[in-house]
Amino acid sequence: MKYAWSKKMSILLLSLMVLLAGCNFSGKSSTEPTESEGGDKPAEQSRGKDENVLNMSLDNDIPDLNQVKTTDAISFAILNNVMEGLFRLDENNEPQPAMAESYEKSEDGLTYTFKLKDGINWSNGDPVTANDFKYSWLRAMHPDTAGSYASILTEYIKGGAVFAAREAEADAVAIEVKDDRTLTVELVQPTPFFLGLTAFVTYFPLNEKFVSEQGDMFALTYDSVLYNGPYVLTDYDQAKGVSMEKNPEYWDKENVAIEKVNMKVIKEQSTALNLYEAGELDKVYLSSADVDTYKDSPEFATETEFRSYFIQFNLGKEPFNNENIRKALQLAYDPEVLTSVILNNGSEPAYGLIAPKMAGVDGKSFRELQGDVIKPDVEKAKELWEKGVEELGKTPEIELLISDDTVSKDTGTFLQSEYKKNLGIDINLATQPYSGRLDTMRAGDYQMAVNRWGADYNDSMTYLDLWEKPSNPHFRGNYTSSKYDELVASAKTEADDKVRMDKLLEAEKLILEDGALGPLYYDGLSYLQKPYLKGLVTHPYGASPELKWATVQ
Amino acid sequence: MKKYLFVRIINILITLYIIATATFFLMKQLPGSPFDEERLSNLSEEQRIEFYAKYGLDKPLSEQYVLYLKNLVQGDLGDSFYFKGQGVSELIAGRIGPSALLGFQAVLLGFTLGIVLGIIAAFKHNTMWDFSTMLVAVLGVSVPNFVFAALLQYYVGLKLGILPVAFWESYSSSIMPSLALSLIVIALIARFTRNEMLEVLQQDYMLTARAKGLSQFKVIYKHAIRNALIPVITILGPIVVSLLTGSLVIENIFGVPGIGSLFVDSIKVNDYTTIMGLTLFYSAFFVLTMLVIDLLYGVIDPRIRISGAKE
Repeated sequence: MKYAWSKKMSILLLSLMVLLAGCNFSGKSSTEPTESEGGDKPAEQSRGKDENVLNMSLDNDIPDLNQVKTTDAISFAILNNVMEGLFRLDENNEPQPAMAESYEKSEDGLTYTFKLKDGINWSNGDPVTANDFKYSWLRAMHPDTAGSYASILTEYIKGGAVFAAREAEADAVAIEVKDDRTLTVELVQPTPFFLGLTAFVTYFPLNEKFVSEQGDMFALTYDSVLYNGPYVLTDYDQAKGVSMEKNPEYWDKENVAIEKVNMKVIKEQSTALNLYEAGELDKVYLSSADVDTYKDSPEFATETEFRSYFIQFNLGKEPFNNENIRKALQLAYDPEVLTSVILNNGSEPAYGLIAPKMAGVDGKSFRELQGDVIKPDVEKAKELWEKGVEELGKTPEIELLISDDTVSKDTGTFLQSEYKKNLGIDINLATQPYSGRLDTMRAGDYQMAVNRWGADYNDSMTYLDLWEKPSNPHFRGNYTSSKYDELVASAKTEADDKVRMDKLLEAEKLILEDGALGPLYYDGLSYLQKPYLKGLVTHPYGASPELKWATVQ
Repeated sequence: MKKYLFVRIINILITLYIIATATFFLMKQLPGSPFDEERLSNLSEEQRIEFYAKYGLDKPLSEQYVLYLKNLVQGDLGDSFYFKGQGVSELIAGRIGPSALLGFQAVLLGFTLGIVLGIIAAFKHNTMWDFSTMLVAVLGVSVPNFVFAALLQYYVGLKLGILPVAFWESYSSSIMPSLALSLIVIALIARFTRNEMLEVLQQDYMLTARAKGLSQFKVIYKHAIRNALIPVITILGPIVVSLLTGSLVIENIFGVPGIGSLFVDSIKVNDYTTIMGLTLFYSAFFVLTMLVIDLLYGVIDPRIRISGAKE
């Protein structure tokens, strides 16, 4: 008996050891030579601000580091710091030359000639050439290798669309390599924000030789990617996060201050906050429940994104084919109450569609030029509602479609109570999972829905284009206005930036005054950041953050 | 015995086949697709279908089903839709380690402590010992483990700074999550053991054993505990399976790169292959554990003989 008992115990212990060995605590496989530095681990853990290390968190697993395929903000956050495009966005969200030294734009605004910097290298020492850009861009467009962000190239680069549809070969795409340091691109239409696009992840270069060597293994581990950005990955685990070190081959390495950056996956916001308090994270985003507690802390701050939330009225369905009803529901609530009382997370109330600070023309933002378009007005809303009901001949039943996350549900309840209070009507909420909501909207099976759009680039076209002859009109509320279509379409081909902007301004005004949309809010985030961390730049769109200029004292 | 095993294994295979089929068709009823991004809503129907075609999602459901089964028989679980370029088997293999370690430690601690507490409570029936043990047990059942986890993290991790607040970096990272997971096991096992012990102690054979003049230790160890533990083994199975396959909440709170959150996330993003892979993995693990437990009965309790063993 005793013998059997000890045998059982040893089996238990043995299996425990096997388990421990399989747990991969360090994140590196045990065969890694770097493991030898494991001895000074405790010192590393008790790091303070005296150490030149930055610790950040990622709020979910890392789906995909293949830059031409990936589509999510977490992968972008990493890639943006280990790779670099022709341009990089600075702290004012303006594109600054990065891999490119200079560029020339043709008179008609259609052809860009980029001159690459001298002495820019991949992390293995190979030079970054104009062909690396061409190779990567073609890869990002071709249906076999591309992801759903292909359109961010195909919509602008001449020949891209037919190439992506397999209707033409690669030579139909107007990307030309003049020599190792000269790249020429021809565009479909004048695109004032094109330089900003070249700072985006899908436009980063790839080394053809390396990528073909890696084959299917490309970008699955930290050493199956070549880097040309300020940092290189030294560790990558989808469920744990990444570690980065300064890239010794980077052209501007003198201006990169922090030696080592860790970005770790922490899905639970309260845990991230505890880690921040324990000094293991240098920046943490807050849930709205925590905002009031930390609001007065000197470490508290907010940032807004170019992401607008709005009500999409479905003009193809009763009762929203009636303009008065639409307008009544558009004017009957004040988003200010929603952002300051309910969301309380740094979001700003929206009285238009285009997010504040988004570029306009001549150094003024779009919102500065336009001002508020929709001013909530309960009296007028009531009047319109009564008029609308009269026209319809009955009081309509109204259902609002929302996603099932907390923020959407809060927004839905807010609208429900505002309509009850201000118009005296009861609307129903239809709650569906995120993808279910998209499905329902695509099928046009809704009356009104809370929808959102995040900007791809710093120009109002990213929003206004959505309603110009959309390929799925149901999803965009069946809004048809030949005047709107004409405004947006002519803005696309307009080479004069000022005339173009006037058209876009008018288009925003038109779609809002037609009551196709009800503005809700511009997405914002509240966060805490350690006082010793300076120069960490985040952008309201595209890939963020920028670690390049960050310092810790 | 051989015949019994053979029949059981055939049963297991049929069970797994039914689970795979049911999951496959139910999963496809979920709204949306693995590529549900607002971006794709800009595409026209034809463009969308072409995009799906790349992944074989445009084919009729029955065809997809047959194809999946074919691959499955060859041991191929396919590639994840969400973690692009990654095989589902590798994904599961990479995530199961941390979850299994936590679960294993929680089961080990939970069972040892639970049984000890249960025995103490039974022997000191209706004393302070009994009441305080049962208080712990009631607390353990009624306090959700994420509350306990959050308290542990805040006081032990942040305030005392004895153990890491979160992350998965060294063995000490696994202590708090294991403790949090074991709470409910301790509580369940303690209550169960106590009740069983009380019942066994009333049995006639206990009186016989005492009358034979056996020592107190022998009476307890050989006659009381062994018999009391048989029903405990029954609940061992589900507990082991649920703990070893990871806990969404605990893993998220402590930032453990385990398998628990993978399942929930994969359903959220309609990652079909991962959903299938994990469902099959869980089911296979469960039925196999049940088999092992049924075999264990025979070892522990001589009265239970597996059919066919007599031949």
